[in-house]
Amino acid sequence: MKKGSVVLIGVLAVIVLLVLALVGTYNGLVTQKEAVQKAQSQISTQLQRRADLIPNFVATVKGYSDYEQKTYTAVTEARAAVAKASTVQEQSAANDELNRAISVWVNAVTEAYPDLKASEQYIALETELAGTENRIAVARKDYNDAAESYNIAVKRFPRNLIAGMFGFGQVDYFESQAGTESVPQVSFD
Amino acid sequence: MKRRCCLLALIGVILCLCGVFVSAADYPSPTERFFVNDFAGVIEPEAEDEIFSHAAALYQKTTAQVVVVTVHTLNGEEPADYALNLGREWGIGQKKENNGVVVLLAVSERQIYIAVGYGLEGALPDSKTGRIIDVYGLDDLREGDFSAGLLAISKAVINEIYPEYGQTPEEDYVPIDEIDPSEESSVMDSVISWIILLLIVFLFLRRRRFFRPPFPGSFGGGFFGGGGFSGGSFGGGSSGGGFSGGGGSFGGGGAGRGF
Repeated sequence: MKKGSVVLIGVLAVIVLLVLALVGTYNGLVTQKEAVQKAQSQISTQLQRRADLIPNFVATVKGYSDYEQKTYTAVTEARAAVAKASTVQEQSAANDELNRAISVWVNAVTEAYPDLKASEQYIALETELAGTENRIAVARKDYNDAAESYNIAVKRFPRNLIAGMFGFGQVDYFESQAGTESVPQVSFD
Repeated sequence: MKRRCCLLALIGVILCLCGVFVSAADYPSPTERFFVNDFAGVIEPEAEDEIFSHAAALYQKTTAQVVVVTVHTLNGEEPADYALNLGREWGIGQKKENNGVVVLLAVSERQIYIAVGYGLEGALPDSKTGRIIDVYGLDDLREGDFSAGLLAISKAVINEIYPEYGQTPEEDYVPIDEIDPSEESSVMDSVISWIILLLIVFLFLRRRRFFRPPFPGSFGGGFFGGGGFSGGSFGGGSSGGGFSGGGGSFGGGGAGRGF
């Protein structure tokens, strides 16, 4: 065997290895990006779930004659904003706003109609709403975990080169403003 | 030099393993019986046996897993988070179906929380889960009778799952939806629904004897043939209580109450 062909084989082997590594890294990034998107859609699902629950809540409260119209307008607006939001940042901002609006409204309603709290329907809806809040929190945490590991993967050498080549950018975290997380909270005491 | 490298590598591996170990130790490991884990030591042995047999029967017929856990303290965590994380870590429910439920009781926080896996959120929506606690559990729990409370709650949860798999609940169970919220379960009501239930069961049994069943040979959405008590073996095996989780996950569904 000639020396030239040995070198050629060597070079070819290195190229094959590099391509394999590239393919592996690329596929890894795709998988992680997919996980991020899946987690994001889970957040959207849960936000939608809550938005759908609100009319039920209103229907229950409506039985108690004219409910707090003024504070409810804010809820309607915030709901629309959540539906319109497309990016993660918009979603999390709209979500905060809706949280605030719901809590103000629920407090106003339960102050105006104290016996509402004792009704079976109200307790059921309140439980559903609390459960939805919890689901949103879980979905948000899962999303942030997925986003974190994806962002780290994209930033690390040498993957950052490949990520740059194929346009894998950073993704945003779903952040919540401090103090709005536990809202709405209504106790049954 | 080479030996040194080896030693360093070994130390590295050990440190990594320790790290895994520490992070996993946040939640206790499941006990032998899996479906009942009385870490706080508040359930009477008879009640524990009964909960176990109900949960094991459910598992064998449907693969759904209802797991009761009592702890002294949640270490500052929210009940919902604790139940969710424990459920995910133990992999309660089957991986594809996510049909697990955690019934968590924290003694010092005086909290009960029922976490419902993705796959059972239809059978156990939060409002129903909350009502199960209110109707079946709260009185006993408030009086400190954790055995009775947890038994009643887990029985209710288990029996609300059966219909999801096209199976009839245990005979003495009154579905939560049939309990009138306004008059907290008067005796007459439960007698009437008992009679109705027995009638239905009776009619159903007769029908099955004389006619072919409407869906040949299948309950449970086509997963298992025949129904009945034979059970076969599912994953973790049916001998000697060696059950384990099937890799199910949770998405934050469920409801909890303080007592």
